[in-house]
Amino acid sequence: MRSSWSTTLATALLVLGAVGCSNFLSNDEVTGNPNQPTSATRDALFVAFQAGQFGVQEYGLAQVACEWVQQCAGVQRFSFTRGTYDIIDTDFNADWAQIYGGGGLKEIREVEASATTDNEIVYRGIAKVWEAFTMGTAASLWGDIPYSQAGPDNPTPVFDDQMAVYDALQVLLDGAIADLQSGIVQTGVGANDFVYGGDAAKWIEAAHTLKARFFLHTAEVRGPPAYTSALAEAQLGISTPLNNFTSAHTQTQGEQNGWWQFYNLSGFGQDVVAGRFLAELMVARNDPRLAEYFAPTNSPPAAPTYGGQDPDGTESAVGASQLQGTRATPDFRQPYVTWQENQLIQAEANFVLGNAAAATTNVNAVRASVGPAPGLPPIAVTSLANVMEEKYIALFQNIEVFNDYKRTCYPPITPFPNPSFSGVIPGRLFYAQSETNVNPNAPSVAQQLATNGFRNDNDPAPCP
Amino acid sequence: MSHLRLSVFGFVLVSYSGVVCLAAEPAKPLPREEWGAPPIKVTSADGSPLGSAQVLVQPLNLSATTRPDGTYQIRIPAARVPAEPVTVTARLLGYKPVASRVILVPGEVVSDFSLPENPLHLGEIVVTGAGTVTEAEKLGTGRSSVDSTLIVRSNESNVVNALAAKAPNVTVNSSAGDPGASSYIQVRGVTTITASDGQPLIVVDGVPVDNSINYNNPSNLASNASAAPPNRAIDINPDDIANVEILKGAASGAIYGSRAGQGVILITTKRGQAGPTRYSLRSSVSLDQHGRLPEFQHKYGLGTGGVSPSCVSGGAINCAVGFTEAGSWGPVIPAGTPTFDHSSEMFQDGYTTDNNLTVSGGDERTTFYLSGGYNYDRGMVVGPNNHYRRIAVRFNGTHRILDNLKIGANVSYTDGNGGFLVSRNSTEGLLLGAWRTPANFNDLPFLDSTFQLHRSFRFPNPGPGSEQTSRRYDNPFFSANENLATSTVGRTFGNVNAEYDATSWLTFNETLGLDYANDERTQGWPWQTSTTTVPGAAGVGAVNAGYIRTSQIDHNLTATAKYKLSPVWAGTVTLGQNLNSNSWQSRQTLGVGLIAPQPFDLPNTASQLPPYDYRQTVRLESYFAQVTADLGNQLFLTAAVRNDGASTFGVSQRRNWFPKGSAAWTFYRGAQGENRWLTFGKLRAAYGQSGTQPQPYLLASVFNPTTLAEGGWGPASSTQIGGVGGLVTRYNLPTEQLGPERVKEFEAGVDLGLIQDKADFGFTYYRQFSDGVILNVPVAGSTGYTEKPANAASLRNIGAELALNVRPITTRDFSWEIGAQWAHNRSMVTDLAGVTFAAFPLSGGTNGLGVQGVAIKGQRIGVLYGTDFVRCGRGLVINNVKIDQTAGQCLGAPAGALYIDSTGYAQLDASNNYVVGDPNPSWTGSLRTGLKIRGFSVTGLLDIKHGGQNYNGTRGAMDHFGTSKESQVFRDGGNFIFGQTYLKGAVAGPGAGMAVPLGESWFTGPGGVFNGPVSLDVEDGGFVKLREVSVGFTLDYPWVQRLMGFTSIDLRVTGRNLKTWTDYTGYDPETNLGGSIQATRGIDYFLMPQTRSFLFSVTLNR
Repeated sequence: MRSSWSTTLATALLVLGAVGCSNFLSNDEVTGNPNQPTSATRDALFVAFQAGQFGVQEYGLAQVACEWVQQCAGVQRFSFTRGTYDIIDTDFNADWAQIYGGGGLKEIREVEASATTDNEIVYRGIAKVWEAFTMGTAASLWGDIPYSQAGPDNPTPVFDDQMAVYDALQVLLDGAIADLQSGIVQTGVGANDFVYGGDAAKWIEAAHTLKARFFLHTAEVRGPPAYTSALAEAQLGISTPLNNFTSAHTQTQGEQNGWWQFYNLSGFGQDVVAGRFLAELMVARNDPRLAEYFAPTNSPPAAPTYGGQDPDGTESAVGASQLQGTRATPDFRQPYVTWQENQLIQAEANFVLGNAAAATTNVNAVRASVGPAPGLPPIAVTSLANVMEEKYIALFQNIEVFNDYKRTCYPPITPFPNPSFSGVIPGRLFYAQSETNVNPNAPSVAQQLATNGFRNDNDPAPCP
Repeated sequence: MSHLRLSVFGFVLVSYSGVVCLAAEPAKPLPREEWGAPPIKVTSADGSPLGSAQVLVQPLNLSATTRPDGTYQIRIPAARVPAEPVTVTARLLGYKPVASRVILVPGEVVSDFSLPENPLHLGEIVVTGAGTVTEAEKLGTGRSSVDSTLIVRSNESNVVNALAAKAPNVTVNSSAGDPGASSYIQVRGVTTITASDGQPLIVVDGVPVDNSINYNNPSNLASNASAAPPNRAIDINPDDIANVEILKGAASGAIYGSRAGQGVILITTKRGQAGPTRYSLRSSVSLDQHGRLPEFQHKYGLGTGGVSPSCVSGGAINCAVGFTEAGSWGPVIPAGTPTFDHSSEMFQDGYTTDNNLTVSGGDERTTFYLSGGYNYDRGMVVGPNNHYRRIAVRFNGTHRILDNLKIGANVSYTDGNGGFLVSRNSTEGLLLGAWRTPANFNDLPFLDSTFQLHRSFRFPNPGPGSEQTSRRYDNPFFSANENLATSTVGRTFGNVNAEYDATSWLTFNETLGLDYANDERTQGWPWQTSTTTVPGAAGVGAVNAGYIRTSQIDHNLTATAKYKLSPVWAGTVTLGQNLNSNSWQSRQTLGVGLIAPQPFDLPNTASQLPPYDYRQTVRLESYFAQVTADLGNQLFLTAAVRNDGASTFGVSQRRNWFPKGSAAWTFYRGAQGENRWLTFGKLRAAYGQSGTQPQPYLLASVFNPTTLAEGGWGPASSTQIGGVGGLVTRYNLPTEQLGPERVKEFEAGVDLGLIQDKADFGFTYYRQFSDGVILNVPVAGSTGYTEKPANAASLRNIGAELALNVRPITTRDFSWEIGAQWAHNRSMVTDLAGVTFAAFPLSGGTNGLGVQGVAIKGQRIGVLYGTDFVRCGRGLVINNVKIDQTAGQCLGAPAGALYIDSTGYAQLDASNNYVVGDPNPSWTGSLRTGLKIRGFSVTGLLDIKHGGQNYNGTRGAMDHFGTSKESQVFRDGGNFIFGQTYLKGAVAGPGAGMAVPLGESWFTGPGGVFNGPVSLDVEDGGFVKLREVSVGFTLDYPWVQRLMGFTSIDLRVTGRNLKTWTDYTGYDPETNLGGSIQATRGIDYFLMPQTRSFLFSVTLNR
């Protein structure tokens, strides 16, 4: 009998062993990763997506834009290849990931959702402006992009029409302005807002200027109504250079200005120099910003000379300047959306809508603001080129200059003769290979090249 | 209580038929007055006494072990003497068991057993894992077993090395010749890409144990650049091992489910046996020398373009030779100028001592085994930092508390202590610096005699101001003497167990095991170090310190029932449960900039980087069942299933089934003495599934505080702004869908005994299909992620294994045997989910050589991937010319022809990576022989790897620096023609047939290891190695016992790795930069050469 008792006991133990630890496999200790945070506060996500979008505006995309509008020139290696439009779809994987992924759209939206939950309406408004800024940049460079369906839940989002994206961003910005005007703040965004320190009024101005910018992006197709809307928004836009939307950087490793990092830390810094067109234009104007943008090609005590290089390698007589002006410091706040741009949006709209006098006022306000005082002498605006020249110089290293070029064909630069693009500057970028590889809704490289002469909806006419 | 002795009389050995029962004459009680007359012994067939044989009275669970003279004694309590006849069995490994039915009667009587030899291991108990056992002939899968004799004879301190060439398709790679260097073991083919290192699970006495290899501070130090630590199986004392069973495939390993995807190695340690207490002391000492070394040139000295660097001839203080001047491409060294042998100058004779004492014994109820081992390996490099020492103690004991309850414990403690050289791919490493040094630079003294500062060929005259300056490469003597890398390991592993016979047919077994190790690590880089792998440490030094802890707890409970449905249908049913928790944790801090030159201590560093801090826990909860059926003692069927739940599986795939089934049919079993060519025949077939678990935490959605995707250009961009931290999600899309990688295997084979057991032959064929192999599959960037781990890839391994053993002579005084093994595995990546190539972990980039081990669809697993020369047939455009379609270029040339441009040289094709080599051998094999004449024995072992390519980066780098003999031969030899006198093969292009010089500009440029194609340094790595020759002499004469008190003395001389035959031009075709941490094989880059050893051992037995 003893043995059968034992059998029973042992069997019971076996069964107990099976049920005794029902969460043996599934408790947090073993399924959660103990080495990395599994949740993030809204503030942590907010800080990180600002850092992420500073990167988008200052790394590869900005460099391509700078080279293509010949503010900069690539001397060798990949900077040269990109400057001569030898681009391939894998070039933009990292930028695409930074726009959509960690520190991008995904987390901007999470911050918006979290702010809604906590009734941080002003906070949400700030995040919406960031979303509009980020996705507007993407739409302007790639055209049709995943937006309405983009996100972790949809592995194959459709590509929204570029114009539809712009329309959605106008709605988004209207919502942002309403949020910012609501005044509803709990603990608020405070010092985590590295652009405006949580100042809702400044964000409202920036939102209006962005609206104006995006209306202009549609102007080549939609004509005067777009200019009228842009003018109206710009009049509510950034009211003083003190309210410029700029990045924030420090001297700490990893936190420095992107252009500074490229020049000083990448090992490829010498590969990008001043563009000849911009440098010689500014020399001809005797523009005081030369020293801010570029390093002289000679040494003191001689009077400084500045020059640049064309995409085909032709240099100015004095040589090509490095991008090492006075702004080249690790903590330089790169201007993204500025009072100058806001004034020049008004100037362009006024001029196109037939109000040259108002346009002249706008242009001369910008010229007068160029330091040191009293700035550049006033001019009479007689052509769109007068406006766009000011914008081309004022928005140095800003991706927006590429959009201006596509719309106005200013500056009158000579494209590099790359047969792949029929002798013109490409109107857009290739979609990242990381998207086209796996999303059947994404057009292939061949389809992209075959559509609209590799230009976007908002850019029907190629520049010569 | 009276004690009885058991007697069996009238026992007749009926047949040679072998397996289980020998029919006995009806046993009858023996009159009391007759006992004592016949010898009371267990003997072999030729009459020699057999010690250590076990005599077992089955129903009473009583046993005894024979004394060295073959005698034994079993005491049976009178109360337990049954009326009916009982089965008494005598067993001894290597002999066929003999059983007899006897009637026990009061009185003291004895019995003889005569055991026939058992070369086919029939009836031998085989451990099959997770608490299950069977007998050899019932196995439905091919058996690969290594016994203690072979392990001890190999005298390897790492049990993994001891398995080299012992079983077909069990491949062992010792990464280097350093003491304690890691070794890699692979069974059949690799079945995973990212989830595991491709090595089998190691189980000791039923408990899984850690065999990981851990490099220092993975967050800050390149894994291939620091010192080479051991794989943790080195903590197992090989002297304690009784037997190793290797479960090669899914068909045999399915009982271990999701941990058996790469195979399982079952190690059983030695036990004590009832009988007199035995003592054994084994001492060995070996002399370890370096094997083959690269050939150097002694004709040209330091410099470039035939010119010496100016700073050297000027003799200026603190002159540093510029990068381009640092080769041996300088002027001819004038006759009479001394040159130095940098290939071997830092080597001396190393030695290894190994001492093991074991004491074992016991009685009918209690057994014990105690051992202590001390192993010390002094490496063959000068200086104080090249050694490994292991102290291992073990206690194995069992005690029968009740007649039906036995408890036991196996406990071992190992103290490991090593000092490692920094070698491998690092500028502060021993060989990297040594083998790049020009022949006319004297590395000694390594400290400048005036200032006591580090001298090296790049920095020949150090002086004040250079105390904290990098030398660009360390002087090898400086590296050997001044770098520090230590590991101190305390490890305990073992189990407590209980065996309970609930009824005559039902037995419970419980094993509760533990494996815990703490590894304290310190690595120090002195002032003047040349390191480039430690951020910011060049010149100023650094210290890395911390610990690595592993711990594993395992519970395994089984219930086994025997059943008998009819006289011809019996078997067992086993149910089991297994719980396992496996943890790994490491904390290491890197401090940079030594404040004072010594000590290597974190407080003595100027700044500390954020510590590496990582821990993980994986849990497993499993149930299994196995049913066996023995039909007519001829057909043996086994079916089993395991259900695994693992914490690394996705919620929806938390539990997974792993079934197996096998059949063994003993179609012929000849009678004893029968004179036929076939004496035993078995056909077997098996199918099973096993798996590999995902890496932990792939399912967790986590945030990262460090870097952004668009990292820009310099150091990666931080998520932090102004000191305020930010968090971002990473690239991996979180998934809930991850299950185990699944290996499905079919194997079939035949085992034959031939010519009266004078030969045996085994053949196995297998097909393995691995499905759901985990891979990071790209996802659309617009999801916010770039990739997603998924069970997406498929692999295939098909192969065959052959073993043939012949024993032409088997007499008592003279025997001779020959064994041959052959194995072949053909692997293939059958599906890669559209991914172009998947690199093995730590393969891409981290080796810094541009060569990777990858999986590519349609290729063998682990092919080498990298750049090649421009070749025809690839549709390439060179200088705006489509070469394949242009006359005078490649038009008309065969595909693959080397393209020679108008300069007359082959050109690098930088546009693409190609499969440039395949490290998988076409076949492997071994040949062994043993000769025994009375007490003398001689054994030999040849290890053969046929085919399989290596990347010889060592040669490439030495060519670049012009230190190799090869570079001198080309430089001296005038002009060469590609395709004819250099890189023989088809060529095409405008420069084909041109004669061009090969010298510095070629070897440092398009034909160099740093600028040229990876393919240039890929070559055949096949070899034949004389792995072992051993001569032994056993003294077991009566006078030994009489005069010295020992039952036997065993003397043995062994030579290891005595000779290698290979076409490989490198120093050792077996080295591998990755050590045993990864499945990438065949990368040769400045690792220590393997040792050649001469070994003498004495074993005293009592």
